[in-house]
Amino acid sequence: MSVPVMTVPGEPPAATPAGVAVRAAGLRKTYGKGETAVQALAGVDVTFARGGFTAIMGPSGSGKSTLMHCLAGLDTATAGQVWLGDTELTALRDDALTALRRQRIGFVFQAFNLLPALPARENIVLPMQLAGSRPDPVWFDDVVARLGLRERLGHRPHELSGGQQQRVAIARALLPRPDVVFADEPTGNLDSRSGAEVLGLLRSSVRETGQTVVMVTHDPSAAAYADRVVLLADGRLAGELTDPTAETVLDALRGLGA
Amino acid sequence: MRSVLIAQLRAHAARLVASTLAIVIAVGFVVATLVLNATARSTVLEAVGAQYVGAAAVVTSTDGASLADDVDTLAGLGSVAAVAPSYETSVQAGIPGRVGSQYLFVESVADDAALRWQRMTEGALPDGPGEVAVSERARAEVGDVLTVTSYDETGGESTSEATVTGIVDLSGDPQAGLFGRAFVTADQARQWGAVDPVELRVAAAPGAGDEQVRSDAATALGDRQVEVLTGSERADEAAANMLGNAMALTAVLLVFGTVAVVVAGLVIANTFAVLLAQRTRELALLRCVGATARQVRRGVLGEALVTGLVSSATGAVAGIGLAALVSALVGGAESPIPLAGISVPWYAPLAGVVVGTLVTFLAALAPARAATRVAPLAALRPVDQAPLRSRPGVLRLVLGLLLLLPGVGLMAVGVTAGDVLIALPGGVLSFLGVVLLAQRGVPPVVAAAGRLAGRLGGVPARLAAGNATRNPRRTAATATALLIGVTLTSAFVVGAASTRATAQAGLAAEFPTDVVVEGFSGELPATLVGTLAGTEGVERGASVLAGTVTGPDGEPTGAYGVDRDEATAALRSTEDLVLPGPGQASVPEWLAQTWDVADGDRLTLGGGDPDVEVPARELTVRVIDADNPLLLDAAELRALAPDAALGQVWLRLADSDPERQVDVVDRITDVVAEASPDSQVTGLVTMRAEIDEILDALLLVVTGLLGVAVVIALIGVGNTLALSVVERRQENGLLRALGLTRGQLRGLLAWEAVLVAGVAAVLGVLIGGAYGLIGAASLLGEIGTIVLDVPWLQIGVIVAVATAAGLLASVLPARRAARTAPVAAIAA
Repeated sequence: MSVPVMTVPGEPPAATPAGVAVRAAGLRKTYGKGETAVQALAGVDVTFARGGFTAIMGPSGSGKSTLMHCLAGLDTATAGQVWLGDTELTALRDDALTALRRQRIGFVFQAFNLLPALPARENIVLPMQLAGSRPDPVWFDDVVARLGLRERLGHRPHELSGGQQQRVAIARALLPRPDVVFADEPTGNLDSRSGAEVLGLLRSSVRETGQTVVMVTHDPSAAAYADRVVLLADGRLAGELTDPTAETVLDALRGLGA
Repeated sequence: MRSVLIAQLRAHAARLVASTLAIVIAVGFVVATLVLNATARSTVLEAVGAQYVGAAAVVTSTDGASLADDVDTLAGLGSVAAVAPSYETSVQAGIPGRVGSQYLFVESVADDAALRWQRMTEGALPDGPGEVAVSERARAEVGDVLTVTSYDETGGESTSEATVTGIVDLSGDPQAGLFGRAFVTADQARQWGAVDPVELRVAAAPGAGDEQVRSDAATALGDRQVEVLTGSERADEAAANMLGNAMALTAVLLVFGTVAVVVAGLVIANTFAVLLAQRTRELALLRCVGATARQVRRGVLGEALVTGLVSSATGAVAGIGLAALVSALVGGAESPIPLAGISVPWYAPLAGVVVGTLVTFLAALAPARAATRVAPLAALRPVDQAPLRSRPGVLRLVLGLLLLLPGVGLMAVGVTAGDVLIALPGGVLSFLGVVLLAQRGVPPVVAAAGRLAGRLGGVPARLAAGNATRNPRRTAATATALLIGVTLTSAFVVGAASTRATAQAGLAAEFPTDVVVEGFSGELPATLVGTLAGTEGVERGASVLAGTVTGPDGEPTGAYGVDRDEATAALRSTEDLVLPGPGQASVPEWLAQTWDVADGDRLTLGGGDPDVEVPARELTVRVIDADNPLLLDAAELRALAPDAALGQVWLRLADSDPERQVDVVDRITDVVAEASPDSQVTGLVTMRAEIDEILDALLLVVTGLLGVAVVIALIGVGNTLALSVVERRQENGLLRALGLTRGQLRGLLAWEAVLVAGVAAVLGVLIGGAYGLIGAASLLGEIGTIVLDVPWLQIGVIVAVATAAGLLASVLPARRAARTAPVAAIAA
């Protein structure tokens, strides 16, 4: 049964408090219809602070990827609302949402992050080009330098290592100074050394430039780089940790039966 | 594997639509071509050879001697049932309700029913004297009484009356429209002045074969100068004369058929590549669970075979239907292309099905081989990210150049020598070379066009340019299919335009006058020129004086006098008919020989009337074609022959279609008949208009036929884009995630289509235009002066249509791509 779920009556959509980058209220997502319907998100309320590095964790099928897709405007929620700052994503049509993604959200995916036909430099500036804007050259040089890509800008993706490819993706995500960077298992395809490097770069972008980062991962040692861990199980929030370590994350996950 | 094959076919029937469509169109085209060709031949055979088809044998006198005495000889043979001599004559007939009289060609009707070939629209054939059946052109009705003026051998004129008993259907006969024709009994024909039949048609006795009748007749007439053929041989001969060269027509049409099949082959190969790419994972899974590479290949090829067979059969049926439709449409209208009914030769559907199935099978071979290379692990792995690199086809390059260079050389020789038989193989060789080299040549051009487009179209165009050059081999294959179609279409359009311009110039030179009014016995009233020039549909008139002069040999000779400016305006061309100015004389070749003068010589002419003393004139000679009269300046003629009067009126008609011009000629006939009853109206205006119309119709038909190849090629463009969409699902998803709007994604694919289609169209038009000009130059070089004509408008339309259609082809794949959720990039 697919039941249209409305916001709870009597609870006005409050303005997003200052200091909150992303906020979801009563977020539900159902795949399929009738007998075969699967509820991926069963009513999630969560906020992500500006300038924070949050990891979303949970066992397979807990809905963590779906949550990220809905928060990032990549997927539409069945019910509930998502705000990016004061903008309600769930109220936007596709074109407005697309424009918002390229201007205010950065992405780092697990694999297939880059367009194979374009060299690294063009991959990095692609979202800004799509938006019709030019990157600030000083900021571009700064980002490229910090990610150690100065020598790689002319290379095509298949000429780069996996770690280098992820660094290009991070550069692309940081360049427009988005409200939030979403990272989906950014170290999933990397060896541990490259993975540590990528996570270190994400964390330093938070520390040094106040960038907000939300990362989905299933790796407790990756989650340990974050300031805060949000735990998800069966499509619902199942607790959270602040200043996590690999051990506390692992313990928390065991508590969920993963 | 068979159950898997069947399940696949059932599950993916919708996916096979594109290849099915390509095969159906290509096979339908081939079959329709063959059927229409056979129909055209049988129609012409029926119309032109109608009088021979029913006859067992036809005896033709080769020295023009009368065969009247041989009728009884042949009729006495055991294998002969009846003999019909063909009596022919011509008469002037006055038709009720019309002022003027018109020419009717009269031929005799056989007494024996078996030799009566005429089809009746209305009424019946005449049975006795005083009765006549006429063709529709005569514009008479059954029951009308015609006033017939006939002339006997010595020129004696007599008038009689004949009642119209029926209207004969001559549709399909390309000569039907020129003059009215009349059919009468042999006795009546003789009364109207027909003598000396030179052709006998012979009917076989029951049980006797045509060949037997032919040999019996040949033996019986062994000592005479005759040619004896069977009826069907004679009909073939007549049809071949009419069609020019029937074999050439078949060859040309089959070339178009081949083009359609080759283009379809390229498209089908593309389609299967698309289908298999969509199913990489499925095939890999089959391998994972234990299918061998061979089983996978057999499965794919089996699928191709079934698809090919089913679609080819559908195509064959569609082709026959199409031919019937074309025949009905064309045959119903007053078209110069002879088509009536439909005749389906047994080999047409067979050829279609065999060719279609074979091409599908062959086209699927390469994709099937690629399918067997799918590693089992591909089922479990995300798609490879590295761009495809195509191997440098050195062999292809060398082979392409080896075909292109000698081909171009041959064409150069063919053009200089004006010999199409040298240029044609050159064209075929070089075109094969072009097709081979296209793989190498097209991608750089697309890349260059892409850079240009990138400047105009922003990010989506830049991305599209990158995408279009990413798989050069596939881009080249897609573009080549379109290139072939566009090249041939524009080659034909340019070639036909030049042929037409040349033919028109040639016709104008050969028949410079549209209509000539001539006094039969003496002069025309001087006011006639003005009256005729004022007739509706007449553009200009020129008066031509007739008088007698005395040549240097002392003999009187007839001469015409013209005012050069006035006459030039009334002629279509003065290339062959050079008009004299004051002090000049245009002397026909035979007269120049008699007088022994050549171009530039001085010629002295005296007055024609020995009773009137006039001073002789010295004129400069210009020799002209033998079939013209001696022409002088009007003032010169008046000086030599003061009694010279209006002898001819030359008329130029306004350009319009043949039917309208026939009306104008009828009006002129009426005016002339009233003013000067015994004058004659002749002219080849309707012939010119008809030739024009035939060329126009042929051009239209062939362009339509080649358009089919272009349509098939465009299905290919759509396919290639569909393949891009499938292969770049993740990429498109990523672009959407990074901020490419749906509109921009559609734009990206539209740009890709426009780049590929536009480059193919422009290259095709350039190459095809060159071929068209070379073809026209080498073909018409044999005939004479060539007028090259490039129809820029049509060329522009070809480029615009091909490009716009490419854009159209991108609509469906683009819609599918735009539906890709951004999440697709992540959920690999």
